[in-house]
Amino acid sequence: MKPLEIIRNCLILSLLLAMSMVTASAHADVVVIVSAKSSITLLTAAQTTRIFLGKVDSFPDDSDAFPIDQAEGSAIRDEFYSKVVHKSPSQLAAYWAKVIFTGDGRPPEMLESDMAVRKAVAKNPNAIGYIDKSAVDKSVRVILAP
Amino acid sequence: MAIGYYFFALIGIFACVTNAEATGTDQPMFTFGGFGSLGVSHSSMRLGDYTLDSTIPKGAGLSEDWSTGNDSRIAGHLAAQFTPKVSAVLQVVSEYNAGNSYQPEVEWANVKYAFTPDAYIRVGRIALPTFLDSDNRDVGYSYVWIHPPIELYRQLAIAHSDGVDAMYRVDIGEVGNTIKAIIYGENTIERATSKSISKDMWGIFDTIEYGPTTTHVGYQKRLSASENLQTGVTGAWVRNSDLSVGVNYDPGNWFAMSEWIQRKSTTNITAMYVSGGYRVKKFTPYLTYSQNSQGSFLPGFPPPSSNSILLANRAQSTVSLGVRWDFMKNTDLKLQYDQVKLSDNSNGFLANVPTNVNLYGTTFHVISAVVDFVF
Repeated sequence: MKPLEIIRNCLILSLLLAMSMVTASAHADVVVIVSAKSSITLLTAAQTTRIFLGKVDSFPDDSDAFPIDQAEGSAIRDEFYSKVVHKSPSQLAAYWAKVIFTGDGRPPEMLESDMAVRKAVAKNPNAIGYIDKSAVDKSVRVILAP
Repeated sequence: MAIGYYFFALIGIFACVTNAEATGTDQPMFTFGGFGSLGVSHSSMRLGDYTLDSTIPKGAGLSEDWSTGNDSRIAGHLAAQFTPKVSAVLQVVSEYNAGNSYQPEVEWANVKYAFTPDAYIRVGRIALPTFLDSDNRDVGYSYVWIHPPIELYRQLAIAHSDGVDAMYRVDIGEVGNTIKAIIYGENTIERATSKSISKDMWGIFDTIEYGPTTTHVGYQKRLSASENLQTGVTGAWVRNSDLSVGVNYDPGNWFAMSEWIQRKSTTNITAMYVSGGYRVKKFTPYLTYSQNSQGSFLPGFPPPSSNSILLANRAQSTVSLGVRWDFMKNTDLKLQYDQVKLSDNSNGFLANVPTNVNLYGTTFHVISAVVDFVF
């Protein structure tokens, strides 16, 4: 192959890769929710990150924050951590390995589905979770749509 | 070791007192987990052993063609949350040690009392937070390298202390600030022919986190002495002071980090590294440069013995190129190549170099592979 052809092929390949990433990320729409009874109306991605990584245990208004995770390996969990926290599943596992084995904390409790998370968040004014946009109803409030 | 007994006594008391009391959440009172690494390394230097730590009696090079001593270990971690305020941790690690065996040792055993979620005091065997990764340096799965850069982490003379520490965390806007203080600590490290004893230890450590940036500063002081196990004679007590600084920037797809330490005892030594990596799907290639200086003798001490001159002249530098592959859940595979350059008047950290052999200015190569896992 001539050098020009190699460069052209590389460009095409990277374009295809970029396109496949765009379609992949447009798949689901994760939103961060609190109970409709909560006084929290808005949270930044950075504030949400700190709550889910256990770096703080309260909301910016000092009320207790109780984060709820979704099941390991679920698409919604991977999307939340990639879009909001900027960590891949293995980066997240490595992070918790450090925290757990230094005795500094434990990962959030886990629930199995959008429905279960919505229900748990709806009845606890201190809870915070993430679900697919399509699962939102009046019992919860969206505070971040990344 | 007395503190270990106090710890178990305390656990017993708390377990009885709090047995019936609900912990306030649905999380179980006891959680057990563990981690481990299985690693091999090979060195092109046949006149000395490439060892990670002064307690490891032999390694790849002179003693062994391929060695598993540097990067193999298994550990169990038991955490107990008795009440929202009282918790305890016990961590036992089995790794290649001075006794030429994998005899398990208690790495940590402490009881924590949390006044608030942002302030605690701990009693027992506690990790010393000298570096960014010093309290998780055994957990290979938690970082990208095969092992933390040797030139810097060899300066971590003491990994844990028996005593008391305290933590206070305060948030200023989106900046998290964590202050840890070693209020009192002591430690004993056993080597093949000697024992290093430390006492009257204290230190203060500050970690600031803002978005993807973490900075860490530590200052610690202690008195140390060395006991010769053959003669039973303990040398003079020397005052040590260590100042360490580190920064880590990790926005997600890539990371860059650097750490530095200045150690003062009878000599003044500095060490540092810079490291960076880029994450491509499940692969993280990384590049590290690390070095330590020759120890310069400080005034005010008796003339150094030939052995202390030898121990002070350990300057070397390493360029490491490696890759971490997260090929399975909770498991990774890492490969690393090191090019180690010894300074002009130093055998570096090579162990078991025969008397009168000098390898000054030599360059050699090390290749290593490791599988890390957590459970």
